[in-house]
Formats: sequence, structure tokens, C-alpha cells
Amino acid sequence: MLITQIGNYSLILGLFLSIFFIFYLILILYGFIKIKLNNIYSILFIQLFSVLISFFSLIYSFVISNFTNETVYNNSHTTKPLFYKISGTWGNHEGSLLLWLLVLTLFIFLFFIDSKKQPKIYRLYTLVFQQIIILGFFLFVLFTSNPFSYIFPVPLEGLGLNPILQDPALAIHPPILYLGYVGSSIIFSASLSALVSKHINNFWAQHIKKWIFISWIFLTLGIMLGSIWAYYELGWGGFWFWDPVENVSLMPWFCLTALLHSILVLEKRSELKSWTIILSITTFSLSMSGTFLVRSGILNSVHTFANDPGRGVFILTFLFILILISILIFFFFQTEENVRENKIYWLSRETSILVNNWFMIFFLAVVFIGTTYPIFLEVLTSEKISVGPPFYNKLLIPFLIPFLIFMAIGPNLKWIKNDFKKVNFYKFFVFIFLCFITFIFAEKFKIKNLFTIILIISSLYLLISSIGDLIFKRKNISQNISHFGFSILILSIVLNGILSKEFSGNMKIGEEVKFYNEIIKFKKVETFNRENYKSVIATFEIENNKKKLILLKPELRIYNQPNIITSEADIKSSFYEDKFLVFSVLKKNNIFNVRYQVKPFMIWIWVSTLLIIFGGFVRLIKIK
Amino acid sequence: MKLLKYIIFFIICIIQSNLYADNNSILIDKISKNLRCLICQGQSVYDSQSEFANSIKILINKKIQEGNSEEEIYSYLKNKYGQWIVYDTEINKKTVYLWLFPVILFVFGGILIIRKVFIN
Repeated sequence: MLITQIGNYSLILGLFLSIFFIFYLILILYGFIKIKLNNIYSILFIQLFSVLISFFSLIYSFVISNFTNETVYNNSHTTKPLFYKISGTWGNHEGSLLLWLLVLTLFIFLFFIDSKKQPKIYRLYTLVFQQIIILGFFLFVLFTSNPFSYIFPVPLEGLGLNPILQDPALAIHPPILYLGYVGSSIIFSASLSALVSKHINNFWAQHIKKWIFISWIFLTLGIMLGSIWAYYELGWGGFWFWDPVENVSLMPWFCLTALLHSILVLEKRSELKSWTIILSITTFSLSMSGTFLVRSGILNSVHTFANDPGRGVFILTFLFILILISILIFFFFQTEENVRENKIYWLSRETSILVNNWFMIFFLAVVFIGTTYPIFLEVLTSEKISVGPPFYNKLLIPFLIPFLIFMAIGPNLKWIKNDFKKVNFYKFFVFIFLCFITFIFAEKFKIKNLFTIILIISSLYLLISSIGDLIFKRKNISQNISHFGFSILILSIVLNGILSKEFSGNMKIGEEVKFYNEIIKFKKVETFNRENYKSVIATFEIENNKKKLILLKPELRIYNQPNIITSEADIKSSFYEDKFLVFSVLKKNNIFNVRYQVKPFMIWIWVSTLLIIFGGFVRLIKIK
Repeated sequence: MKLLKYIIFFIICIIQSNLYADNNSILIDKISKNLRCLICQGQSVYDSQSEFANSIKILINKKIQEGNSEEEIYSYLKNKYGQWIVYDTEINKKTVYLWLFPVILFVFGGILIIRKVFIN
């Protein structure tokens, strides 16, 4: 069909533009051609436009269920609702790479408009590096994962999108996460270019800070959406399982958060130049290996990798080239000034930011090693091990405790030098007071683990300290909000973890079960026919000891294409707890497996993450 | 000093309370949460309703009734299905670096910061 042709050819146009553009820029940089900014704007715009056309033609193919297109055939179905036909565009490998490409070209266009005040040579070098990345993606899309390949004979019906992906949160999760990932590519190119054009200074820091905050906001939001989805769709009531695919999105986040802090030192004190560049390079490398690892399937099992050698080899080569280029540039263009180490005073904001980076890199290392170690071990010794939640808890929690306390102290220190006598010691008494409160609380709820208790104390300490700063100082509102959000996040995760209650068992219709001070009543089961699935809805009543009734209606969806059953939990959220109920059919007729969970402070996990993001957003607005 | 006494008292209370024995079903939950459902994608035995997971749950129950301890059940399952089934990675010759690397890195980072702040 014509639409597929249009998509394919505009993609090829984009590829050639990219090659031409790189040569053009190099000729300008070596002084063979005179620079004409208008030409550059036009090339960037045409490239963006061509990717946009091919992206929309793919969406259009999905909307009209054009099964001459192999990608549409593999991932869509005529009976699927329109919304999921559209989101199915990026719910697969080929389409998601096209989306990457779209965001890449969009961001470099915006970057070029935004960087007018920066030196010309720096802007041009950034374009060169970014175009190399874009070229790599064009080649990858066109040669190994073309979304516009034909299929013949034309099938009448598509294979359908995996039903667990047919969900509003997951429809917007990938684009948001990609905005974060691709934002880090701009930071990467800009850092290399700043290195080459010797432009690493506070003026540059001020300008790149904006992009760091933009990517950080989207990355955080993207991770949160994925986690919310896991909570209500996967049916076990958890929101984070330290699964490799989750870890892969968390790794660039740690690195980007470290960068977000270290860039402040560069901006205010012109310090930590090399370190900031290293963080920029690492963040992007992690984002890219993340997307590729998830997409190529290497993470779930090493063997999936071998199934598609073409893609895998391309990925590795491309990653290798990018990292090699950045390392070479890093060492060749390193100046005396960048490497020179100035001593910083031990009690100062600079030191506290270094401490932040120290912990962030440790968290990153734990997740990185936990995720990759089993892969390497299996390749080398063919022994399969699991690295699960207990590993992360054991290694992260002890370090989280001092981290929280540093988070409370650090922001109150002055730049350059803080007089030791001016440190506020009243906070120490707050700390002692919190210890008592927490111990009383722990006694009441029979919390057994000592680490948990100390963790609660330290997050309460951060909470009080950041509220205090927010109310009395108001010097740095954005930072206060984010740190406050983080303390609530840790607090709600911990309390949620230790106070959650759960019933799991088999029930018949009409049966009642007593669970703590509540009674779970299984009322009825109804069946409905929906657009592309059959819906089985159960009705449960939860009666508490005050005779108050809560109605919960979990659902089972039996999809026709592909034939998969998903279970939709019903969740009643309230200010202090979530009631989560999910059920599944057992082989024996009329008996259902029922799982009811009471999860305290669940909603606060999302609210606090939004607060953290909001803090970043406030800062972003203030930059302009 | 009184303060310190109270704190020590509370800490002792808490360490003591760790020793209370769990009853059977809580132990089954605890063990099955730590086991990977081998036929599922990223789910624990506890969370899964698959036949494999259910048979493992029955097996755990049987083993507990036979008087096996938690550790014995893990080692039985590891023998049968390999390390892969247990989420809690054990520390042995092959996994020692998994636990050590991050900590070594942390120490190394600490040295760098101390160098930046105090020496130089």
C-alpha cells in the first residue's frame, strides 16, 4: 500500500539527510564552507518532518489495520479499540525504535533553537555528535528492524497486541520514558562537544542544566508510570520487583540524579568538570543499553540474544563505537584546567553534593552488578543464579540510612565554607525525639527488624528537616519539595512493606471468610461480552467491624486475539490504605482463587514521586 | 545516661522479638515468596497460580510437616532445580564478587572524596 511506501521512503530520506548533514557540518567546522544558520535550521526541520511523516504513516497503518505491513500484522487486530491500535504503534520493537528516532530528531531541533546564546562552534559540534547517534538509529531501524516491511500474501487478520499492554498507563509509559532517555542523548552530545570546543564552564552548566532537568523529569515520570502499571495490572499487588527490565530504567535514573546535583557545583563553583562529563556519558550509555537490552531480549534470557544475531551484533557494535568515541574524546581533549583538582572545604555544599554522588554511584553499582552478574556468570560457568529482591534490600537499606541523613544536612550547608560553629545543633534533639516516637510505634506494631526502625527514623528526620526548611528558610523551594517527597517515598515504601496484610485462598460463590477485623464476602460472578474480550466480573463485599461495606469488583478478561487471560485487580484507594482484590479461575468449577490485600500508604508512594517530580519542575521553570 | 539506657533496652527488646517462632502458613508464605516460579515470567511461587507454583507450595507444606527447617527446604530445592529457583542469592565462591564489588566501589569512592577534601 502507498502509505507504507511513504513511510519507508521518508525514513530513507531522513537517513541520507543525516549522512549529508554530518559531512556538511564537518566542512563548516574545518572552514571549507561558510556557515549559514538558516540552512542548518532547514535541514534539521526537514529531517524532523520526514521522521514525523513516517511515524504518522505507521500510526495510520495501525488505525486502518493495514495488514500488508508486517509490523501491523504482528501487533494489531481489527477488533482492538482505537486507542490501543494507536498505542500499539510503539508497543513493539520496530515502532518503538521509530519513536526513539522521532524524539531524537525533535530534541536536537529544539536544542538548536534553544542554544542561540552559546558559542557557534559548540552548537555545531553538538549537532555532529547528535547526528552520529541519529544516523546509527536510522541504520538500525532500516536494516534490522524496519517497521515498513511487506507481507505477502496479505493476511486477513492480525495477531493482536499482548493484552497486558492494553492499558492506559502503559500506552503513555514508553513515550514518556523515551523523552527521558533521549534527553540524556542531548546531554551526552553537548558534553562531548563542550569538551572538544573547550566550553566547559558555568555558562555552559547553566544552559545544559535545563536539559538535565527535562530528561530527569520525564525519566522519573516514566519509571513511575511503569510501576503503577505493574501494581494494578500484574496482579500480585507489588509495585517493584527488582526485575531486570525495571532495573534497566532505574540505572540511568541514579546516574542522571547524580548529574543533576554535580552540575550545580559546576555552575556555582566551576568545579568537578571531568566528573560531570563522565556522568553525562555514563547516563546516556546506560539509557541506550537499557532500551536495547529490553528490546533485544538479552535480559530475560541470554538465549533470546542468539535468536536474532543481526540485531544483537548491531546493538553491540553501535554501543561499542559510541563509547569508544566518547572515551577517545574524553582523553584527547582533556585540558589541564578540567583535570586540575582544587581542594574543597570539608564542611561545605560542595562536599555534600560529592557525598550525594558517592551514594548514587553506589546504588547504581548495586543495581548494575545485580542485573548483569547473573548474565556473565551463566556465560562463563553455565551456572544460573537468581539475584532477587533480598539482595537489593540487604545491600541498599544499610546505605540508605546515612544517605537520608546526609540529604537532610547537606542542603543547609553553605557554598565554599560553612563555619562549624554555625551548624544547627537543635536538629540533633529532633533526631533523639524521633527515635523515641519510632520505638513506641515499633512496639505497638511489633516491628521486629532493627534496620527498618532506623530507616524510619532517618526518613522522618529528613521529612521534618525538609518541612522546616520549606517553611522557615524558603531559600531553595524546589530542592526542599523534592527532598521532602523522597522522605515520604521511603517512609511509605517501608511502612507499606511491613504493615501490609494479605489473605490468599480458594473461595466459592457465596462463601465468607474472616480476615483480621474484616469479613470478605464473595457475592456473585457475571459475564459480559466486550469489544475484543470476554469479561468475567466478580463482586466482593468487605465488611469491617463497624458494619461498613466496601464493594470490590475484580475482573478477568479473556481476550480473543491472542488468546490470553488477564486479571484486572479492583483497588479502592484511600488516604491511608489501599484495598486490593484480585481473583483467578481454578480448574475445578465454581472455585476461585482469591487474593485480598490491605496495603497502607500505597497512594503516598505515587504522591511522593509526583512531589519529587514537581520539585524538579519548579526548578526547571526558575531556570528561564 | 538515662536516655542511653532506654535506647539499649528498646534495642534488646527488638532483637529479642526476632526470636519468636513463626507458625506454619506464615513460613510457607515466607519461603514461597523467596522462590522463583520457573515457568512464569518474573513471578515468585507465592504470587503465581500456575501448576508448578501450586505443586511447590504443596511440597513446602509437606517438607515443613516432616520437620524440615527453612534452610533444609532451600537446599533441597536448590539440589533439584539449581540456584536459579531461590531469589535470595547465597554467598559462595561464585557469587562473592556480586556482594563485594559494590562495597569495594563504595570504599574506593570514599577514598577519592577524602582525597579531594583533606589531602591535595
